[in-house]
Amino acid sequence: MTAGPRHAYKYLWPALALEAAFVFAPLLLSIYYSLHKVRYFELGAMVWFGNYLDVLSHPVFLNSLQVTALFSLSALFFTFLTGFGLAFFLNRDGPMSVLLRTVVLIPYVIAMLVGSMLLKWLFSADAGLIAMANAYFSLTVPTILADPKYAMAALVANAIWRDSAFAMIMLMAGLKSIPPSLIAAARIDGAGWWMTFHRIILPLLKPAMLITMVRLLLHFANVLTFPLILTGGGPNNATDTVALRIFRVGFEDYDLGRANAMAILLCIFNVCAVMLLLAAFRKRGAVA
Amino acid sequence: MKPTQVASGVARLAISVLIAAAALLPIVWGLLSSFKTPQDILQTTPRWLPATFTLENYISIFKAGTGGYLFNSILVSTGTVALCLALGSVAGYGLARFQFPGKRAVTVSIIAVMSIPVASLLIPTYTLMAEVALVNTRLGLILVYSAYQLPIVIWIMATYYQTLPEELEWSALIDGYSRAQTLWKIVLPLSRPALIAATLFVLTFAWNDFVVAVTLLSADSVRTLPIGIYNFLGFYGREWGPLLAASMVSIVPLVALFVALQRFFIAGMTGGGVKG
Repeated sequence: MTAGPRHAYKYLWPALALEAAFVFAPLLLSIYYSLHKVRYFELGAMVWFGNYLDVLSHPVFLNSLQVTALFSLSALFFTFLTGFGLAFFLNRDGPMSVLLRTVVLIPYVIAMLVGSMLLKWLFSADAGLIAMANAYFSLTVPTILADPKYAMAALVANAIWRDSAFAMIMLMAGLKSIPPSLIAAARIDGAGWWMTFHRIILPLLKPAMLITMVRLLLHFANVLTFPLILTGGGPNNATDTVALRIFRVGFEDYDLGRANAMAILLCIFNVCAVMLLLAAFRKRGAVA
Repeated sequence: MKPTQVASGVARLAISVLIAAAALLPIVWGLLSSFKTPQDILQTTPRWLPATFTLENYISIFKAGTGGYLFNSILVSTGTVALCLALGSVAGYGLARFQFPGKRAVTVSIIAVMSIPVASLLIPTYTLMAEVALVNTRLGLILVYSAYQLPIVIWIMATYYQTLPEELEWSALIDGYSRAQTLWKIVLPLSRPALIAATLFVLTFAWNDFVVAVTLLSADSVRTLPIGIYNFLGFYGREWGPLLAASMVSIVPLVALFVALQRFFIAGMTGGGVKG
């Protein structure tokens, strides 16, 4: 069929224009701003990498890097593990599994803001649940969100509660792509359950596992709603993630120079992670 | 049944109940409590059902402007879905049916934008939107939402088009249809599952989004529902009743839609692959 390049771009240009205007142009403008002193929207003197050096030597930002690393890795570990367990537990197609899949997806589907708010309420002293648990199990858990260690745990719990179902769905899609004939053949050859899992399923599931992990990591490293709503970054900056820091510096201090510098740093991290993702996709042959 | 089978069945059931409880407890607890009186909510020995059933919380939030927030949310969600489907179904066709120079670059950018989390773009987007006077407008929000969600729509549509037999389009072209007519009259009617999946994905994003809206909107008249709820958080403080009621207004319609059409939701999450 005669279908030249000009034809293809006729279909693509409106979409490409929208992306250029609202994704790529902001990024370029952001780089420009990040090289200047900016105060309340007034573009000041060009300071080259001054904002970056400033940010990277600021103890509050360094703390937020540490917090983000701790949160992202813990959340990734537990969420992936829970999702992995759920994927295998609910993989069989029965009415029970289908129903339960729907149920665990509900925390993922609803607004993050609402989910985090409901958890904030449950973790607060107001709901009375903690007080009741303390009395019942004779514990002395204090107000969870006021204790640095518990607050971080609560943040991770929020991640597990919302995103395990996402990991489950991604991994189940991977499991579905394994030809059943392979597993049947292994069974005929006398492979037991563990052998089949270890030698057939796990190696074939690897690309799906990698994609799931990278997408979860990207999500956790950037998530703003969890800390903003659940803990507000406190107590004592114990849950002050990079995303939250950017939000505060940008929209509360209106220091757009530094905020843009931080956003660009976060973007560089994201681009690296996305490159890893693309490599994983290519391995699976999903990208032509 | 053998005793071991019974035992494993019981264990399975017990685990299932536990999982369901963990997922739903905060939501069901919130729903039930949204009908409670303030004193009832703050009781230290919690009870499931409201002692006195009241709609007080719901009346309170609608008096505080929730109707307007709902209207804005519906407007912005509908606008975003319309724009995404219009541009995405056409761009997806270009990607699925043509070979052209730069195709690889286009594909890679689509996946990249699909994967980059919104949060890292907030400050840059805000910086730009302030320059072009699109902050505090619903149109600005629709454009930004569409830019974020269009790549996944293109992806869903393109992968679906590739599963359709191209012969159908050839015969239509031979019969004198133009490419545009073929897309409109032959391809799109066959792509309903992909269109539904894309609609739900975009709708959920636009309905739920909080971080983009909170940075771009500050005027009360243009606020969407999540921003309304966020402001209630400061306004009502420890008065949880109205907060829970507002939360339920946001999630109940969505959960109903999700339960009814969940297989389409899942297609969007895994990035395409809708079965007809």
